[in-house]
Amino acid sequence: MVMEINASEMKRVQLFEVIGRVDSSNAAELGGALDKTVDEGKTNLVLDLGGVEYMSSAGLREMVRVLKRVKRTGGDLRIANPSDRVKEVLELAGLDTIFEIYPTQVEAVGSF
Amino acid sequence: MSDPSRLVIVARLEEIRHACDFVVEAAEQAGLDERAVYHCQMAVDEALTNIIEHGYAFEGESSEIEITCQADASRFLITLTDDSPAFNPLEHTAPDPVAPLDTREPGGWGIYFIRRLMDDVTYQRVGSYNRLVLTKKLPEARPAAAPAAGTGDVFPVRTLDKKTAVISPSGRLDSNTSPTLERALITQLDHGMVWIFVDMTNVEYIASSGLKILVSSWRRARDNQGDVVLSGLQPRLIEIFEMVGFDLLFQMFPDLDSALAARPQKT
Repeated sequence: MVMEINASEMKRVQLFEVIGRVDSSNAAELGGALDKTVDEGKTNLVLDLGGVEYMSSAGLREMVRVLKRVKRTGGDLRIANPSDRVKEVLELAGLDTIFEIYPTQVEAVGSF
Repeated sequence: MSDPSRLVIVARLEEIRHACDFVVEAAEQAGLDERAVYHCQMAVDEALTNIIEHGYAFEGESSEIEITCQADASRFLITLTDDSPAFNPLEHTAPDPVAPLDTREPGGWGIYFIRRLMDDVTYQRVGSYNRLVLTKKLPEARPAAAPAAGTGDVFPVRTLDKKTAVISPSGRLDSNTSPTLERALITQLDHGMVWIFVDMTNVEYIASSGLKILVSSWRRARDNQGDVVLSGLQPRLIEIFEMVGFDLLFQMFPDLDSALAARPQKT
């Protein structure tokens, strides 16, 4: 298993738990899973990165693309539980000012 | 210099993770810590992705990329060699990491990350090959102050009267340096300073850690009938404040003098 995405539907929020490794070979798969939900008109998304051991800029690219998409229709993509390394990368990219980032899944889901 | 270890991969995105595993193992053997190992992994991933997506976009699948890792007493070197058309990634400008979302192209961060994550990056065209060398310093070779970046530094503080102080941070306010600003602000608040003027003229970048500290100090100053007033923010910083809505919290002035002039006079 390289990457696994577990999607679940909450009351007001679509939750995606990502596990494994997100890189240029599978980032489009992550983006596609999010797109599918947005296509259904659901735009309050939480991405739980707790299980992500590694993410390259290809993953960030997909996250920014989907964020832009949901923001246009009043939704948001919020991040929960990133590892220190992933958090550092988000900061390096300046994305910590663009994404709302929560230490836990509960807080991220509850923020909507 | 140790004997180099060597791996050859086919120029396909799915192959990159084998290169990552190989580099992680070599970097661990060279004595890099977990964070530095992660940096090496990501730099190699970004560089290979660039080479495969741009260099070999129209090639067949027979092309190969060679990765070698080598360490000496002070450095860990990763060399990537490929025979795609000449391409020097270092000549391409990096995206602006603090640009607002709407003006930002998704992606284009590869070379930016490589530069930020590694201590040195060089490109050479050797015959019909591209050669990219990524260097990470080993812990022993780092200057003693480096691991504690920011913690020993102090931002200049000027006291104007019993309740008023001016703090002048500089550089990047990120998770490394924000604690320095936090200490300065808390020290002043603890000493009864409730009017704190933070002159941001020399601040290049602010991450959420810096914003959080400004807001918590602002709240504490307001609770004590004072304020935290900002001045001299560069346009990019103003955009960040606007993006998160903090332009509604803070009084912001173009420079310190106009901020101080707006200070309520003592009654």
